[in-house]
Amino acid sequence: MTAVAGHAPAVSLPPARRSRPYRGGRFVVPLVLVLGLTSLYPTLYSLYMSLFDWNWGQRFNYVGLTNYQDLLSPATAVGARFIGALGNTFVFAAGAVTVELLLGLGLAVVVNRLGFGTGIIRTLLLVPLMISGIVAALMWKVILDPTVGFAGFLLGSLGLPRLGFLGDPSQMMASIIAIDTWWQTAFVFIVLSAGLRALPLEPFEAAEVDGASAWQRFRYVTLPLLRPLILIVLMFRTIDCLKVFAIIYGTTGAAKETESVQVASYLVAFKETNMSRSMTMMVIFSVIVLAIVAVYQRLGAGRGSDL
Amino acid sequence: MSSLGGSRRRGRQAGSIAAYGIAFAALVLTLFPLYWLFMISTKVPREAFKTPPDFIYLPDFSKYVSIWTTGTFAHAFLNSVIVILGGVTIALLVATPAAYALIRFRLRGSRYLKLWLLLAYTTPEFLFVIPMYVVYQQIGLYDTQIGLMLVYQVFAVPFAVWLIQAFFGEVPRELGDAARIDGCSDVQTLLRVYVPLAAPGLAATAILVGINMWNEVTIALSLTFDEARTVTIAVAGYRGYAALRWQEMAAAAVTAIVPMVIFAGLAQRYLVRGLTFGAVK
Repeated sequence: MTAVAGHAPAVSLPPARRSRPYRGGRFVVPLVLVLGLTSLYPTLYSLYMSLFDWNWGQRFNYVGLTNYQDLLSPATAVGARFIGALGNTFVFAAGAVTVELLLGLGLAVVVNRLGFGTGIIRTLLLVPLMISGIVAALMWKVILDPTVGFAGFLLGSLGLPRLGFLGDPSQMMASIIAIDTWWQTAFVFIVLSAGLRALPLEPFEAAEVDGASAWQRFRYVTLPLLRPLILIVLMFRTIDCLKVFAIIYGTTGAAKETESVQVASYLVAFKETNMSRSMTMMVIFSVIVLAIVAVYQRLGAGRGSDL
Repeated sequence: MSSLGGSRRRGRQAGSIAAYGIAFAALVLTLFPLYWLFMISTKVPREAFKTPPDFIYLPDFSKYVSIWTTGTFAHAFLNSVIVILGGVTIALLVATPAAYALIRFRLRGSRYLKLWLLLAYTTPEFLFVIPMYVVYQQIGLYDTQIGLMLVYQVFAVPFAVWLIQAFFGEVPRELGDAARIDGCSDVQTLLRVYVPLAAPGLAATAILVGINMWNEVTIALSLTFDEARTVTIAVAGYRGYAALRWQEMAAAAVTAIVPMVIFAGLAQRYLVRGLTFGAVK
């Protein structure tokens, strides 16, 4: 033993690990190129263009931070619209994420209790996740149609008042949150369901021996053990909801009651051809979204995984 | 986990019945809208919106034929197939070596690389889509399949890297070391050890990235118009013509959904992996 100590191992790896620092680096060259072209370059382009007044025509003037000032002051029409869209986006995200988390978590706990049929139930519940947002939106637009929709018929035959849903400004946001809940709750469900199955048994046995009630076991054992996964789920659902576009574009479209930031940005760029204003909106909004990502990371989202 | 111990059996049974009741309600709420969509696609509008609706009827599948022969649906469907094949190929070619590097080497700046992946994946689409629209208009990539494939990499590459990293992480490190000792280069180690051992995972990654691309709306709506229009935009297009064509729209929607559900079934074992970006087995 001591005789060989300090000597090179009999079989040595090629010494390349130390001497060629770019050994691993060359494998990420394609990634840096592709993401540089599709993510970094357009981001810098947006930042640069946000300093101009450009409407896809002859008008192309350097205006400094005027776009930012206009968008962030409620006194201007564009500012009021942008701030309204920000508000709508946050109301939507807060509502949808809360409902989806509670339903998804509850459903995961319930389905995990089932003795048989869990596999097929899980699979069937996943189907909405395989559907495009625009298809989900159009499907629900038909079902929620105030005059010919099935939802109205169902309410009527139960003796309940018919609702306007997407046709009634005061019910638009709730309807869209409901559509997103149908569409994306399965994401929360499937992730937390997998998490529940992977939990160790010992803490539950110990809690049961100590006489903890079902609620106490859930509150003081299940929830803390699931915390890392709940954080990941919350982070991705929050971001996804803040980016909401298709289910609003496909249902209420430009209605100011539900216009999200991304819908507003689309309309400003492609219908009003105010390119620089749209890009400024996205720069401000992206900073907000990234700040939220940073908060989730601070809370420990994704720690210990490959994210 | 709560079925431990044999006490309180009667309470458990009642709880179990309630659990099945809740699961059944969730299934109905999840699947009924899809059934309704299918029903609209197989009824002429006069029948489809009759109240009370007929649940037993003679289905009319004519629109499942006519969407292929008239209008632009067939063209859009083909576009989506091409964009997926090209886009998934690019994503795998870019993400596989990157995931290999992140798993196997101590990369300088790998922290920042990972952060970049997260940022690229989470940035709201229009931050990069609007400038890309401007640039594409100038260089002739607007409304082309290749242009769309390229921009799709913003979400496809980070997603694929996370997943492949998780699959590569399961390959025993010693196997890679052994290949090195046998004289394999780093590239050969990737191609002869990692890729074959993680092949099912790579296939699942391809399927999941493909489903994401198929269903994508925001980018396709902004960067295509007619020539490269994708299937989901074509479904929405039935709304834009002179009149709303419910039956065609529903038939096109069902036609767009079915292949994805089948693909998801093929990747079923890896779905949870994919949905959690590799974080959960």
